[in-house]
Amino acid sequence: MEHYKASLQTDCEQILGSFQASNSVRFEEFSKIWKQTDFSSIFHGISQIGEKRIFTRLALTVASPYLFPPYTFQIRVGGLYLLYGLYNSQSVTPKEKIRLALKDWSDLIKFQQDAVNAQHYDVVYILKKLLSDKALYFTAMPDPLSFNAKRKQKEGGNLNEMFVDRPSRPQELISTDMLEELANVHEHYEKLKQAVSAQAEKPELNLVKQNMVPKLHSAVVSYYSWQQNHTEFESQDAESDRGAGEGTTSQEESSRRAKLLESIKARSYGQAVEASRSRRHRQVEVTSAATNSEPAAGSSRYTSKAPSLKERTELRFLNQGDQNEGLQGVTRIWRLSAVEKEKIEEGKRPRFNWSSEREGDEA
Amino acid sequence: MAEGAEKEDVPVFENIDVNTKPFHLRSFRNLWLEALKPRLYSFSNTDPAREEVELMQEMGISPETLEELKTICSTDALRSHPEEEAPDPDVVPPEPKLATLKLRKKRQDYKKTLLRESIGRHDIYANEMEMLALGRKPEDPTDFVQEGEMILTFNVLYPVLFERFKYVRAYQTLLVLGSQKLSELRDGICCVSDLQVFGEFSSTPDMVPQFISKDHYKSAFFFFEGTFYNDMRFPECRDISTTTREWAKKNDFPEFKSTKMEDTTFYDLRLKVGYPYLYCHQGDCEHVVILTDIRLAHRDDCLDAKLYPLLTHKHRVATRKCCACHLYISRWITTNDPHAPSEPCLYCDQCFRSLHYDEQGNKLGDFNAFAYVDPGAFN
Ligand SMILES: [Zn+2]
Ligand SMILES: [Zn+2]
Repeated sequence: MEHYKASLQTDCEQILGSFQASNSVRFEEFSKIWKQTDFSSIFHGISQIGEKRIFTRLALTVASPYLFPPYTFQIRVGGLYLLYGLYNSQSVTPKEKIRLALKDWSDLIKFQQDAVNAQHYDVVYILKKLLSDKALYFTAMPDPLSFNAKRKQKEGGNLNEMFVDRPSRPQELISTDMLEELANVHEHYEKLKQAVSAQAEKPELNLVKQNMVPKLHSAVVSYYSWQQNHTEFESQDAESDRGAGEGTTSQEESSRRAKLLESIKARSYGQAVEASRSRRHRQVEVTSAATNSEPAAGSSRYTSKAPSLKERTELRFLNQGDQNEGLQGVTRIWRLSAVEKEKIEEGKRPRFNWSSEREGDEA
Repeated sequence: MAEGAEKEDVPVFENIDVNTKPFHLRSFRNLWLEALKPRLYSFSNTDPAREEVELMQEMGISPETLEELKTICSTDALRSHPEEEAPDPDVVPPEPKLATLKLRKKRQDYKKTLLRESIGRHDIYANEMEMLALGRKPEDPTDFVQEGEMILTFNVLYPVLFERFKYVRAYQTLLVLGSQKLSELRDGICCVSDLQVFGEFSSTPDMVPQFISKDHYKSAFFFFEGTFYNDMRFPECRDISTTTREWAKKNDFPEFKSTKMEDTTFYDLRLKVGYPYLYCHQGDCEHVVILTDIRLAHRDDCLDAKLYPLLTHKHRVATRKCCACHLYISRWITTNDPHAPSEPCLYCDQCFRSLHYDEQGNKLGDFNAFAYVDPGAFN
């Protein structure tokens, strides 16, 4: 049964992708796509009840993650509708439940609050309907865990980049700690240079710009505000198409943007350059800072067209001519856009070889 | 929820997708109960009228808007065919668009090419077992599972009894209630070694005693997070973890604690989900025990508390037949047996007696014989 996991994922991402392309969070839009693809029939063609139940469980398991971060608000809405659709079109009695882990509860509450604030009535209605229909199990973890370490390692890490808020990437990389570290390294480098050449300034040693760190910082801040403007512009555009009652009002949008800018300024590197903590802890802190800097859900539903920082940086390097050729390779290490490896892996795998594996599978 | 002391009881991964960090089960339950309105985990139906009024207030919408919402969000909106033209749900629709259906169709077409269709009997059986108790209500209302009770799922793996069956990771799955004692889970675990008869009986095959090991060797323990939970319910029980604990002390290991399983409920424990722990009985029969899931009880669960621990899955072990007739289930296991094609060797009662004894019942040759209980005999 586990073999259906990949195909279920494909189907879920297909319908969520179409929903994303519709630029809407309306259930009407979603149900239209659902009907076009006859998504309810995903449960058809299984004759054994036991198999039906296992498949249903798997389908709900595959669909559940889309309801939670790091997916964008719009995808999360799609994820909610998808679960609602799957839950109600399953054919076993009593119905298989949607599993909700305690750690995800607060995310769901925030999501609901965002939907209430933005007056997405259908989102709130459907979420409440699932809860009052007792469609959920309140669990410790999203999936049962049976110490099946080997099998698990093969999976995971298959986050669909298209469905994730891209805005947080530059901020994730150019974090306060990273800038602090860079400032330290730069300082150290300058000292070493001075030690090497006791004499006066040697122009041939001035390979790195003196103000690199502040410049990098301001580049990220300006990218951020550009992105927010872009988002606002696009969502306003979308709003006017569909009338009131949908999406965040532009007033809310701009106050949110102000808050974001404020928060990024608050964390600017200038505030704490003194402490030189051990490098080992850096990684952890960077990640946690990145989570905090994640923009509030709903603020960036329409950002797929924004060119990545990598593209923009490369463009700038190209414009500066060949003196920077060596640096282009260096930039790549930072991985400022989609992880390329995953795209390759997404290709078709040979599918049919179950008969021999099958016996031991569910035992 | 925000208090630091409690935050560590929100389960999170220790090893991604494998197991969680340890958390206190009672605190975990309390966190859920604080987070949820009681009606969300109540076993009775929610009052739709009340829900609707609340929704209208919360969203600030009129009854008309609500009606409109209900129509838009109705599950009818998901139906691709009118109800009377609904396609047969047992058939994969022709020319499916969904990847899953294409795969299922391919699989079915492939199956048709097979001479004999192999049905996953394991799955069917496992499922029947699971379904058996779903939605069961007790006759005596005092036996109802409490609303807000936690249901724990334990996988209990069988020990490696025979080297050559090592690759089969057979297990049974048991559901227990958080308020139950550890000793109740112990009583729910069935293991063939509890039914073994000890002793060599080749000279007196008719004298095989009727008692089974469980009556004689009552000691057992669970080992969770550095503590041995011993079964001390009977006077003849001994703390069989003593040896291990003393050894650990002598060898500079951190000290293990020991307590009674009959005084401990699951809510008292700090456990990791997905992590292998130990259950040991009969002195040396060791089972890996894994808490695979813990969640609030749902109204569709078996609500008769008396039926817990509830066995929901049991690996069907192939019965091992007699080596002579290949027909009957084995009752005897012999070693050092000149008549035997293998060492050790299994016989049914009839073949064992006719091969190893003369008509007067005299033992022929030198061999050892032990009573054998086939694990498959309890399927
Ligand atoms: Zn045992
Ligand atoms: Zn026989």
